[in-house]
Amino acid sequence: MIENFLKVLICDDSMLIRKKLKEVLKSCGCNDILEAASGQAAIDIYKKNNPDLVFMDIIMPFKNGIEAVREIIEFDKEAKVVMASSAGTKEHVKEAIKVGAFEFVQKPWEKEQINKILINLK
Amino acid sequence: MFSQYFGQYLLTEKYLTKDQLKTAIDYQQSVHLKLGVLAINAGYMNAQQASEVHQMQSKVDKRFGEIAVDAAYLKEEQVEKLLSSQKFGHLLLAQALIDKSYMSLEKFEEAIYEYKKKYNISDCQFEALQRDDVDEIINIYVELEGDKYEVEMKKYIALFMKNIIRFIDSEVYTSKIMKVEEHKTKCAVTQKIKNSINFQTYINAKPDVFALIASRYAEEELTIVDELAKDSVGEFLNLNNGLYLVGMSNRGIELDMEPQSEFFEKIIYSTYVLPIELPFGRIELIISHF
Repeated sequence: MIENFLKVLICDDSMLIRKKLKEVLKSCGCNDILEAASGQAAIDIYKKNNPDLVFMDIIMPFKNGIEAVREIIEFDKEAKVVMASSAGTKEHVKEAIKVGAFEFVQKPWEKEQINKILINLK
Repeated sequence: MFSQYFGQYLLTEKYLTKDQLKTAIDYQQSVHLKLGVLAINAGYMNAQQASEVHQMQSKVDKRFGEIAVDAAYLKEEQVEKLLSSQKFGHLLLAQALIDKSYMSLEKFEEAIYEYKKKYNISDCQFEALQRDDVDEIINIYVELEGDKYEVEMKKYIALFMKNIIRFIDSEVYTSKIMKVEEHKTKCAVTQKIKNSINFQTYINAKPDVFALIASRYAEEELTIVDELAKDSVGEFLNLNNGLYLVGMSNRGIELDMEPQSEFFEKIIYSTYVLPIELPFGRIELIISHF
């Protein structure tokens, strides 16, 4: 495993998903990992910490992932956001790309998919 | 999966006692299918012919297939087909019952015949059942006739069962679906699917079973219903519903869903309750229109 220096933000209302994704990211060499349990928390953390990469869920209470990405991209046009959702419908993928996400990962994701994203980003 | 349904049928119709079924299920792991059972199941031979061949076997040093071909009960190609056929679950059960003398070949033939008749199962459907085709199993066993979302709900239930098999346990079957005026949950999570089709689904179980489902899905040891356990079962429902949305989207129907939430010790009015039996207990898939 080669250590990378990416700062990654995980936004998902599920603590299980955050935990599992964190484990995968760590096994891929990421050690600087931030977590948010809601869209609004992700925006706040992004503005404060300026991560290199964001994994964003879509279906979340209050502010969903699409709205959160829109605000993050408004704040930082260079933001790298991956939408990660079980609901990868055509409409959701279209919306995600429209607001500025550069990748869509259908849950349940495989470690290889996550690793590939990290490699492409480096 | 189909063997669970067939076993329950044998029990309900009093072909067997509960203890006999349990012993046979335990024993079936070590069972090897014999050609006679396969031939009857495929409809190539009747029970009397199979018994005759068995009797002949005790007199001549020949295999079942050879004797059956000599007697013109089977063709060579049918023997080959039978030999290469899969180890169908319900046949392993049948073989175990016959080996244990709980059932004769004749009774087995009768049970298969009555079973097909009871559920109005065509030969083509029966073949699909034997392959554990989940869509066909749900189509036959889950009665939702007359419901405006019958097709969509059956697709949903079939997907749910596939995900149970994939993530929780492969030894699973459904009991009879019920439509009830009110139903009180114990430990439940729920999520709404909406737009052109609107229904709300729940996973409900007693605390110990709920914790086990959570534990299997999370792949972590969870013994009590804590926040992680609730989150895990909720995420399982969310994953299933997300995949349902993707499937519908591929068919040109765009649906959406709300975030999942917990629903403990509350009443649901006018709803379907589908009991799902797992080796470690029962869960309920509850589906309501809204």
